[in-house]
Formats: sequence, C-alpha cells, structure tokens
Amino acid sequence: MRYQAIALFGLAIPLLSGCVTHHPQTAQEFREAVPGAFLAKVETFVVDRSFEDVAKTFQSKAPECLNVRVKTTSQSNTSYQVIVTDYTPTVHVSADKAELHLQQHHVQGVLNITEEPNGGYFLLVADAYPIAGGQTQVDLYRPSMGYKVLVQAIKNWATGDNIGCPDLTKI
Amino acid sequence: MLGRVVVLILSAGFIAGCSGLRPYVSDYDKNLYITTRTEASGFLANVRAAVDIYSVDSDCARQYQGTIDLRKESVAVGLPPDTLSSLSFTFESSAFLTNSRGTMSYDTVLEPRDGYDYDVNVSYIDNIYNVSIRERNSSSGESRELVANFLDSCGNSD
Repeated sequence: MRYQAIALFGLAIPLLSGCVTHHPQTAQEFREAVPGAFLAKVETFVVDRSFEDVAKTFQSKAPECLNVRVKTTSQSNTSYQVIVTDYTPTVHVSADKAELHLQQHHVQGVLNITEEPNGGYFLLVADAYPIAGGQTQVDLYRPSMGYKVLVQAIKNWATGDNIGCPDLTKI
Repeated sequence: MLGRVVVLILSAGFIAGCSGLRPYVSDYDKNLYITTRTEASGFLANVRAAVDIYSVDSDCARQYQGTIDLRKESVAVGLPPDTLSSLSFTFESSAFLTNSRGTMSYDTVLEPRDGYDYDVNVSYIDNIYNVSIRERNSSSGESRELVANFLDSCGNSD
C-alpha cells in the first residue's frame, strides 16, 4: 500500500506540477515550478558551517550515496508490486553557489506519462550560498510529502552532522 | 508418496545450495575488523546487514568470493593484502505491517596494505546508513580515515 502511494505520488508530481503536458526538463525549470506545485515546496535554512565545507560535502556524499538503483517490493492479498528506480545526482560548484540536483528514473513499476529529461525526472534541487558570518544558506526545492529520509540526509550533509546515506527504499 | 518426499528433499537441497550466497572464508591473516550497529525504524521493522566480498581482476571485473553476515556486533576476516577487493555492504530492511521490503547497497573498493589493519564501522540508524573505514598501522597504531573509493575509479589511478 505504501509503495502504491509512492507510485501514485510519482505520477502526481508530473501531473500536478507540469500540467500534464510538460514536466521540468532542467533544474532551473524545476526551481520555477516547485513554488506553485502541489506536493512540492521550497524550504530555506541557514547552517553554521562554511560554504566551502558544505560544497565539499555535497561533492563527496552525493555520488557516494545517491548514485544508486533501488528496488522495493510490496505485497498484499491482492497485489504484488515491484518498483525499480535509478537515482542520478549532479553537483555543480562555483565560487558563490553549490547546486545538488537529484533525478529519478523509474526502470520498472511506474508509468511515465510526460516527457522525461535525460537522467530522469527532477526530484530535488538543493542550492547552497555563502552568507555573512561564515554561514551558508540552503534552499531546498523538494517534495512536501514523503522522502523524509532523503531530505534529512541532505540537511545533515549541510550541517555536517551524521554524514550518512539515506536508505532510499524508505522514501 | 516416496516420490514426493524425494522431490521435496531434492528441492530443499537445491534451494539451499543455489541461493547464490555463501559465507566468505579466507586463510589470510585477519586484517578487516567490522563493527556493526543497526536499529530498524518503526514498529515490527527489521534490518539486516551483510557485506559481499569480491576479488577484482586486472580488467576491474568482480568475482564473488562470499558474504559476511553482520548480525554479530563485531566480525574479523582476512582480505588478501596488496590486492584490490570490492566490498558491497547491503542493508535489507523489511516491515511486517506494510509487508514491504527493500535492499540498499553501498559499494567500495579496498586494497589492504601489508602491515595494516582496517577498522570498518557500519551503522544503520533511523534509515540512514554509514560505512567508514580507518586504516591502522599494525605496529605503531597510527590511523587515518579512508575516503570512499568506487570500482569506477579502478584502473584510473596510474
């Protein structure tokens, strides 16, 4: 049941944020679509950690933790569902901004109904900027339901606490 | 009736012997010390950790050598020194109430140096997992944290 809900969510995101016919094809389009989208939101927070450290953590942890294929199965008396998803992270770092993009491509178990960008649908974008006092501001463009463990892991990478990998079977 | 029993026995043997997983056994001196802590999140949830050991040949291809069950808090095994090995840590979680299960894996490669031991800390807590490896000089005790290496980088170092 839980995975059916996730599958439905996977379908709902492109439907609701992209008005059926179009889904964000770039990180910038995703940023622009999220504020007005159902089941998605922008979250901003500040961490007491230098921008360079946050960027380094994004660069090391994203490929280590998010470049994965995840297979989940769920079973009830009337159904048996297998969902296979490939996640693809991308990190871009410049002098004043670090971007972490996460895309997901359903290999099995979810029907894609809109045009999918190369690498999969955008699931999350995290932008980190240096601010005064050696702190860093992070803008998270993310789903507002589910994906708690993913969001928590990225927040942990920003703060430097518990630099672990999220179990993406638990989204 | 006898035929059914024979079929049952053969099937059980077949399934047990062909699951594809076998315990990792090695004659090398112990140089890999793994400490594991797992805490499943949620009522009647369970998580099971293990590590699959692979040898890596000169073409960077992996050959499965065996699996170490990480249900025990501490395990020590021997990896061949000065030879590239690939370690695939797996976290298999299941939830009784939702009748769901999933497996996450974390792959890294390690080339143990002769005269060094490797302390591996594995944790899975609140659905966040972590694998850290420290290289320790067996004589002096000096140690350093190793950065994660992936099989993709195999063959690129020289």
